[in-house]
Amino acid sequence: MTGWLLDPHRMRQRAGWTPGRVTLAQMVALAAPVGVKLVEQGMPMASVLVAALIASLIWELAFAAIRGRSLTWHSAGTALIIAILVPPATPLWQVAMAASFGMVFGELVFGGRGYGIVSAAAAAAGFLVFSFSGAGLSGSSQALALATLPGAALLLLGGLVSWRVLVSVIAVLLVAGFMQDGTSGLPETFVAVAFGLVFLIGDPVAGASTQLGRWVFGVLAGLLIVVFDTMAGPDVATAAIVFASLLASLFAPLIDHFAVALIVRRRRIAHG
Amino acid sequence: MSLRQHLTAPLIGNNPITLQILGICSALAVTTTLSTALTMSVALTVVLCLSGGVISLMRHHIPPSIRLIIQITIVASIVIVIDQFMQAFMFEMSKKLSIFVGLIVTNCLVLGRAEAFAMRNPVLPSVLDGLGNGLGYSLVLLIVGALREFLGTGSLMGVPLVTTVAEGGWFQPLGLMQLAPSAFFILGVLVWLVRVMRPEQVERPEFRLQAPEDGRS
Repeated sequence: MTGWLLDPHRMRQRAGWTPGRVTLAQMVALAAPVGVKLVEQGMPMASVLVAALIASLIWELAFAAIRGRSLTWHSAGTALIIAILVPPATPLWQVAMAASFGMVFGELVFGGRGYGIVSAAAAAAGFLVFSFSGAGLSGSSQALALATLPGAALLLLGGLVSWRVLVSVIAVLLVAGFMQDGTSGLPETFVAVAFGLVFLIGDPVAGASTQLGRWVFGVLAGLLIVVFDTMAGPDVATAAIVFASLLASLFAPLIDHFAVALIVRRRRIAHG
Repeated sequence: MSLRQHLTAPLIGNNPITLQILGICSALAVTTTLSTALTMSVALTVVLCLSGGVISLMRHHIPPSIRLIIQITIVASIVIVIDQFMQAFMFEMSKKLSIFVGLIVTNCLVLGRAEAFAMRNPVLPSVLDGLGNGLGYSLVLLIVGALREFLGTGSLMGVPLVTTVAEGGWFQPLGLMQLAPSAFFILGVLVWLVRVMRPEQVERPEFRLQAPEDGRS
């Protein structure tokens, strides 16, 4: 029984986060935003949702069968995020293709959720924008931003989103917005980024995994949003958030590398 | 190794791109259309054969300490001739390939074969080895080029095969295919397919998850 409490494997079990429960928490957090979108956009949104769900689940099932692993259903969460990002007028085969691309190249080829580099939903949205000329992404609304809040609170409490990332992104956007046009546009900026911030940039798989690195990652993502944003005024284009998330994710391992090196150096100096 | 094997081994089993991951830069850059991929393949195959032959011919007279400089000089001379030839007789194509023909000089594949094979083998095997590797490179380039041109524009060698949506047909071109990242994805899938067919190529993982020592998980 010695060291029972210090055994990392045991500790992870005691924290209670199995892959299935992570999926469940994400689905609960996404329920309100999806509901809002369904009310706003009606049947076209529902069919987009079904297309994304079917495509994502087929790929997760296929890879689980080939690799002999149990299902975590995490693809359903990815599909919900994709359905919110994709405009309802998108042809369904394009939605299915984007979802397939995001699932397969965003995470399944790396070994599944938790092993990839980028957020699968962001990869799917990026694919859609690059592949089909004229395809934009769905904008945000006040109701969507408000519906994101309870889910964000749930994920924050569960430790599935890092508050450091959220705070540093918001801080950068605040500073940038303040420098551009004072305090007037801040609520609008917040409405525009809320969903993408929590579910794309906040995705713990795609972000940095050291506490110090999360601050840097958040600042980087915030700066990239400012750089990529094509909209005039305080509004932010959804595509800017998607590409900021993708690019910042690519830097996350490098940021972590330096953060770890810094921490090691500091400890070496402190403890000899 | 028999002479025939020098030619056939690099086609799939020891393919320079999918196994050794060499020459990736040009494989990404020139594969937006099949015609550029084809021209580049021919140019590189010719350079590989000639440089293999010439370096092998001179191999006893090359001082080891400056061998890389001499190899590069030989490769560069051949590449310049080919570049000039293309500018003289296929000006349009040479404009499309822009700097990538000149960059064959720095292609790891060419120097890699010179250093690894031509420096220590007779002329005929060296030429065959160059030809085999050139064909292996070409095979991958042509597959990637054909897929990217067809899916990205709906045509092959500039000849439209299906009518695109913009012209009133049904085919929706994938814009991503005309961008460099798609070549990475296609190459990745090719490497994956080859390794599914030949599991001996699969690399050992750098890190393994450790099971807890007392067997609890």
